[in-house]
Amino acid sequence: MDSIVISNLRQRPLRSAISVIGVALGVALVMLFTGLAHGMSDDLQKRSSNVSAEIIFTRPGSMQLTSSSANLNTKYVELLRQVEGVESATPVIRYFYPSGTWGVDQVEGVEWDSFSKMNNIRIIQGHPPNGPNEVVIDETKAKRNHPVGSTLKIFGEKLYTVAGIYAPESGARAKLTLASLQDSLEAPGKCTFIYVKVKNPADQIAVAKRIDQQFPGNKIQLTREVFATIENSIPGLSIFMRVLVLLAAIVSALVVMLAMHTTITERTREIGILKAMGASRTYIIGEIEREALLISFLGLLVGFALAGIAGFGIHKATGLIFEFGWKWALTAAAIGLLGGAIGAFYPAARAANLDPVAALAYE
Amino acid sequence: MATILKAEKLEKVYRVGKVDVPALRGVSLSVQEGEFVAVMGPSGCGKSTMLHLLGGLLTPTSGRIVIDGEDLTAASDAKRTDIRRRKIGFVFQRFNLFPTLTAEGNLRLAERIHGNGADDPDRRREILRMLRLEDKMHHKPLELSGGEQQRVALARAVVNRPAIVLADEPTGNLDTENSELVLKMFRELNDRFNQTIIMITHNPEAAAACQRVIQMRDGHIV
Ligand SMILES: Nc1ncnc2c1ncn2[C@@H]1O[C@H](COP(=O)(O)OP(=O)(O)O)[C@@H](O)[C@H]1O
Ligand SMILES: [Mg+2]
Repeated sequence: MDSIVISNLRQRPLRSAISVIGVALGVALVMLFTGLAHGMSDDLQKRSSNVSAEIIFTRPGSMQLTSSSANLNTKYVELLRQVEGVESATPVIRYFYPSGTWGVDQVEGVEWDSFSKMNNIRIIQGHPPNGPNEVVIDETKAKRNHPVGSTLKIFGEKLYTVAGIYAPESGARAKLTLASLQDSLEAPGKCTFIYVKVKNPADQIAVAKRIDQQFPGNKIQLTREVFATIENSIPGLSIFMRVLVLLAAIVSALVVMLAMHTTITERTREIGILKAMGASRTYIIGEIEREALLISFLGLLVGFALAGIAGFGIHKATGLIFEFGWKWALTAAAIGLLGGAIGAFYPAARAANLDPVAALAYE
Repeated sequence: MATILKAEKLEKVYRVGKVDVPALRGVSLSVQEGEFVAVMGPSGCGKSTMLHLLGGLLTPTSGRIVIDGEDLTAASDAKRTDIRRRKIGFVFQRFNLFPTLTAEGNLRLAERIHGNGADDPDRRREILRMLRLEDKMHHKPLELSGGEQQRVALARAVVNRPAIVLADEPTGNLDTENSELVLKMFRELNDRFNQTIIMITHNPEAAAACQRVIQMRDGHIV
């Protein structure tokens, strides 16, 4: 054993461990947050993009991100079907409700036949929802211990029976019949929005205009623009991510800096010996940086492991989806290593500048 | 015999706050290759200061030092470090081994800093045999006696074939028996490898074993 770097770390196992964990926490934080943002937006994208209707017809103010109401009369469905260029129309209630401690979840009420036909959704097991007590769910939800035939609470205390499982995923993971949800929400004859599919997608803007002229005062959105909104929310997210990454870098740098600073104060005499032996400034800075990089590297490994374990645990407990990307893993790695290297630099430079005679006399 | 070290009119003034403390007041000294020189004198007379100047750990206030043909006083800080690395081996009173490394590790570290690897394994082995360290190499300093630690420090100082070994009271922390043993090793290194040595000591018997004794007083050689 002739490496002062490794023997130093072994000499002070507790301090080394704390430094490693400090870096690991920074790395794990970056991985978890970016993994969650990635997982959730990907999931949202996937479920939104399985909607094949080009137009969404709603009342103004009836649909925000986390709240909705059933205030649109379903009589518009028949009227929309008669508009020139429209192939089909199907009413949907989307209802958001609090779930878990912090979460919000959503359920949809649909007219199964027209909804599934329009969006090419198949029942892969069981049968479509029928009557007020049946629900169909997608495969992701089914995997969370909800087989066909089991019962399920959605909101309130009412128990629903899982009648079937559908694919692909689209919109809310649980779907009731329109009538059932109307009944629960005491909104007979109402829905939240109506999906409109046009005969020729190239004509969608013209058809949207026509609908607007015929039924003024309603809100007509193109599905592709709703997707764009999801996309657009990501730059804001990425600023948040960058701030987070910066903070993680600062935390890593400070942890390593503190560790190196105390190490060097404690080893002042050893630095004096190195100087007496003719070690150059570069050599001394190099040794200290190697120690810092080793700490950071171990921190990285622990951080990745921590993120993986925590991500899995949180997914199991809450259903939140984590998707760890290479790009962010590399960023986190760079952050941990760079933070460590930069944090160690100041103490290292101070050590290299110590007066050898004074360092040798240090008690 | 070639002159391996030459110091001319060395002066060193320490500045403590606003007070000047003169530690060396004009010391000139010439040491030949293969000489074993003892430096004696009362505490505070400037022995350590002189040794630190000769080894390039300090810069003189005035004067000139040439070691093995290289001018130490004209050199930059980095250059002085480099000369020290190639030409000087230090031995201290308090051994100054790296406590986390084994004896072997301490030696390897010296070799790594010097940058020659183990360029002469025979010499290395011979030094270890001579210092009777062969079976101590895997021990850490705290597992060794003071005498053994100082022998490891001595091995570390000479393993890279320095032009000169500078020792500051190397037996100051040792009992009589170990002092004699370590002194014997200094002498053998001098005999066998023609190693040039300058050694500060308070021990008259140690000084008697040297070829030359330099007496110092109040920053002068007397
Ligand atoms: N770093 C320093 N700052 C101020 N004065 C010093 C310093 N080092 C040594 N001295 C003074 O210089 C003189 C010579 O010291 P030193 O060379 O250590 O003597 P010796 O080794 O012979 O005992 C003493 O008066 C000492 O107090
Ligand atoms: Mg002294």
